[in-house]
Amino acid sequence: MPAFFEVDELAVRIGENTILHSLDLTFEEGEVTALLGHNGSGKSTLLKTLARQIPASQGKVKLQGDAVDSLGARAFARVVGYLPQHPPATDGLTVRELVALGRYPWRGPLGRYTSEDQQLIDQALTDTDLVPFQHRSVDTLSGGERQRAWIAMLLAQQTQCLLLDEPISALDVKHQVETLRLVHRLAQQRELTVVVVLHDVDLAARFCDRLVALKSGAVVADGSPANIMDSKVLESIYSVPMGVMERAPGQWVSYVH
Amino acid sequence: MSTDSAAPSQQQPALPARLPFVAMLLWLIALTASAAPLLSGLSLPELLSAFWSYDGANYSTVLAHYSWAPRVAIAVLIGCGLGLAGAITQQILGNPLASPTTLGVAAGSQFGITLATLFAPGLLAFSPDIAAVGGGLLAIGLVIALTWRLGFSPVTVILAGLVVSFFLGAINMAFLLLKGEWLGNLYIWGAGSLVQNNWQPFLDLLPRVLTIAVLMLALMRPLQLLQLGQASASSLGGRVALVRALALFLVVLMSATVVSRVGMVAFVGLAAPVMARLLGARTLGQRLLWSTVMGGGFLLLADTLAHWATAWGGSSLVPTGTATALIGGPIILMALQSIRNTHHMPGQDTNPGSFLPKRRSLNTVAIALGGLLLVTTFISMAWSPGLEGWNWTPPWQWADAWVWRGPRLLAAILAGMALGMAGTLIQRMTGNPMGSPELLGISGGAALMMVIVVISGLEIGRFGQLAVATLGAAIALGLLILLARRHQFAGNQLLLGGLALSVFMDAGLRLVMASGGTVASRLLNWMYGSTWLVSETEALGLMALVLGFGVLLVLTLRPLMLLPLGSASASSLGLAVPRARLLLLLLASVLTAAATVVIGPMSFVGLIAPHLARVLGQQTVGRQLVVAALAGGFLLALADYLSRVVMYPNQLPAGLLAALVGGIYFLWGLSRHGRA
Repeated sequence: MPAFFEVDELAVRIGENTILHSLDLTFEEGEVTALLGHNGSGKSTLLKTLARQIPASQGKVKLQGDAVDSLGARAFARVVGYLPQHPPATDGLTVRELVALGRYPWRGPLGRYTSEDQQLIDQALTDTDLVPFQHRSVDTLSGGERQRAWIAMLLAQQTQCLLLDEPISALDVKHQVETLRLVHRLAQQRELTVVVVLHDVDLAARFCDRLVALKSGAVVADGSPANIMDSKVLESIYSVPMGVMERAPGQWVSYVH
Repeated sequence: MSTDSAAPSQQQPALPARLPFVAMLLWLIALTASAAPLLSGLSLPELLSAFWSYDGANYSTVLAHYSWAPRVAIAVLIGCGLGLAGAITQQILGNPLASPTTLGVAAGSQFGITLATLFAPGLLAFSPDIAAVGGGLLAIGLVIALTWRLGFSPVTVILAGLVVSFFLGAINMAFLLLKGEWLGNLYIWGAGSLVQNNWQPFLDLLPRVLTIAVLMLALMRPLQLLQLGQASASSLGGRVALVRALALFLVVLMSATVVSRVGMVAFVGLAAPVMARLLGARTLGQRLLWSTVMGGGFLLLADTLAHWATAWGGSSLVPTGTATALIGGPIILMALQSIRNTHHMPGQDTNPGSFLPKRRSLNTVAIALGGLLLVTTFISMAWSPGLEGWNWTPPWQWADAWVWRGPRLLAAILAGMALGMAGTLIQRMTGNPMGSPELLGISGGAALMMVIVVISGLEIGRFGQLAVATLGAAIALGLLILLARRHQFAGNQLLLGGLALSVFMDAGLRLVMASGGTVASRLLNWMYGSTWLVSETEALGLMALVLGFGVLLVLTLRPLMLLPLGSASASSLGLAVPRARLLLLLLASVLTAAATVVIGPMSFVGLIAPHLARVLGQQTVGRQLVVAALAGGFLLALADYLSRVVMYPNQLPAGLLAALVGGIYFLWGLSRHGRA
C-alpha cells in the first residue's frame, strides 16, 4: 500500500527565491507528524504544497499513490483538510454556520444538509468545547476560541488527513494541550494522517509520532521524538546551544543555554 | 457588542425585527408617494387594476396603465435586480462597499453605448444590450487583467475598477466635448431616467432579469465559501477563481442589461446591500433576500422623488440616477461608521502601491526633472502652430506672446506642483500610497462647492471662489478623517470612504450637468481643466500662494515622518497628534483647492506625481515632496502645451489630457506591480 503523501524531489520557487530544495519525504497513513524549524525554513510552504495551495515548481507530490492534482477540487477536499496560518475575518458568521461550511465538500453547491451532517457538526462542536459559543459571531470571539472554531470546521469536513499550520499559536496552555490531545486522539481513533507545523518542540515531542525539521528548505532531521530530542540534533535545527532533559518516558523538556 | 456576552446565549440569533419593518415602511412610503398624485382621480381598486387593464372611456386609467404602472413595475424590477447584483458583488469581493459601479461596469456600459451611438448607430437600434454588455465586459476585463496575478484581492480590484471608470469616463467626456451635438441626450440618459410610456421595456427586461437572478442564486453556496478566504475556500473544494469569474460575469450581465435600458441608476447596487446589512441581515441568504427587497423599494422611492422634483422644478429634468445617488451617498457614509472589524479584511496584506524601495540621489533627479520642466516651458512659449503652420517665437518677442501663453502655462505648472505636494501630504498622512486628492473625493468637494456657487449665480470673484473651494475641500477631507478615525486611518477604510465621498460628489455634479444650458457646458470645460480661462493676476496670485505654502511645508517634514507610525507611537515621541493632523489637513486642502480652481477635479496628477517620485527613488518625505512637485508641474505643463496644439485651432482641456495620460500610466503601474 502506498504512503499517504509521497513527496518526490520537490522544489518550490517563488519569484527568484527557492523556498524548498528537492525534498524527499513520505507521510504514512495514521501518522502524526510535526514540522519543525526556525522562521522562514519552508515549513508553511511544504504544507501549502501538500494542500495544493501552491504548485510545485519541480518534482511530484503524490496522494495515496496518485498525483495530487488528479483529483477534482471537492474530491480532494473530502480527503485532505487544510487550516491556514491566518484565517481571515468571517464577517458575521456564527460558529455553527462556520462549522457547517465544513460539509461543503460532501454536499456541494445545491445538495441538502441531512441529519447526519447536523450530527457531525454537533460532534465537531463538542470535540472542540464550542457548544456554548455555537450561536456567537466568530468575529466576537477571542483569538483562541476563533482558532478552535476553525479547527472544528476542519473536523466537520471529515477528511482522512489534516494539514494544520500553527493551529495552537493563539491558544493558552490549557487549550494548546487539549487541542493537540484531541488531534492525537482523533488520529488514533479514525486513522487520521496529520501534518502539523509547531513551534513548541516539547509539545511536538509529547503529542506527535514523528518530528521532521526543515532548515533553509531542506530536511535536517527526521525521526521519532526519542531521536530528535537530543541536544546535538536540536542545536543543528535551531542554531543555538540547547539542552534536553527527559523527565519521564516520552516527556522531554528542552531549554536554551 | 453587548456587555453580557460573557454568558453566551443558547439561542440562534434571530433576524432583527427592524429589518422587515423598515423594508415594509420603505415600500409603503414609496408606493404611497408614487400613487398619491393619481389617487385624486382614481379609487384604489381602479389604480391596482391599472397594472393589467384600462378603461378606454376614462383617461386617468389609460394614463395609469401606460405611464404610471409600467414605471412602478420597471423601477421595482430594476431595483431588485441591482440590489441582488450588488449583494453578490460584495460577497465576491468580501468587501462591504463593492458594487457594480465600483467595478467600472456602469462606466464601461456607458462607454459602449457612447461608442455605438457615434460609430454604429445601427447596432444600437438592433439591440442596446450588446453595446452595453460589451462595454461592461471591456471594463471588467481591464480590471481583471490588471488584478489577475494578485488573485483578485478586493482592495486592488476596487482600486483598478475606480481607475478604469475614471479613465473610461474621461474618454466619454472627450467624445462629449468633441461631438457634443450628437451626444446631448446621452448625457441625460447617462444619469438614468425611468420614464415609460408602455409595457414593452418592462416585458423585455423581465425574463432577462429573472434568468440572471436564478443563475445567481444557484451559485449561492460556493459564494458562501468565499467568506472563508482563498486558502480555506479552496481547501474545502470550492473553485475560487471559477466561482468569482462566473458570478462577476452574471453581475456584468445584470448591470449592463439595466444600464442599456435606463442609464446609470447603479448606486442602488451599493446602497441596498449596505442597508440590508446595517439593519441586521447577517447570513448570505438573508443579505441576498433583503437587499433584493430593499433595492426594489429604494429605487421606487428614488424614482418617485425624481418624478416630483421634475414636476416642481419646471422644465429641467431630474434624472432618477441622480436621486438614487443623492439618497445613497449618505447611506454609504453611515454604513462606513458602523462597519466593524474590517481591519482584518481579506487581501489586506497586498499593497498595490508599493514599489521596491530603491534610492537615488535627490540632486540628479531634481535637476533632470527641473531641466525637463524648463525645456517644456521654453517649447511651450516658443514653438506653436499658427494659421500658416508651425512658427517659432524667439525669446525677445515673448513679452508679446505672454498674454496668450504665459498665464495658462504658469497656472498649469503651479497647479501641478500644488497637486504633487498635496498628494504627497495625503499619502504620508494616511500611510497609504493610494491616497490622493482625486481618489479621496477632496477635489470633488472643492468642485461641488464651486458648482453650487456658480449655479446660485453669486459673483464672488476669483479669490471668493478660491475660498469657497478651500472650504469644500476642507469639508470633504474633514469628513473623511472623521470617518476614518475609528479605524486609525487604516488605508482601506480611508480609500473606501473617499470612494463613497467622490461618488456622492459626482452625483451632485451630474444633477447640475443634466440641467443643461450654458452654465453646464461652462462647468464641464472647467471641470476637465481648461487652463485657457486663467488670467494673469490669477496666475500670479496662485504663484504667491503655492510658494508660500511650499515654505510652510518645510516646517511639517518631521511630523509627516512621524504620523505614519501610528498615533500612539507619534504622540509618545512628543508630537501633538491632533494639532499636527489638523495643520496638515488644512495645508493639503488649501493646496488641493488652489489647484482645483485652475485645473478642475479630474486630473490624476495628485496620485501620480508622488508615485513617480517614489519610482524615481525618493523615499524620504522632504525629497518626495520636492520631486513630486517638480513632476506634477512638468506633467501639467506638458498637458497644457499638448492641449493647445493637438487639436489646433480647437483646444482640449488640459486636465482631461492629464487624466488620460495619467490613467494609462497608473494602469501600467498596477499591472507591473502584479508581475513583480
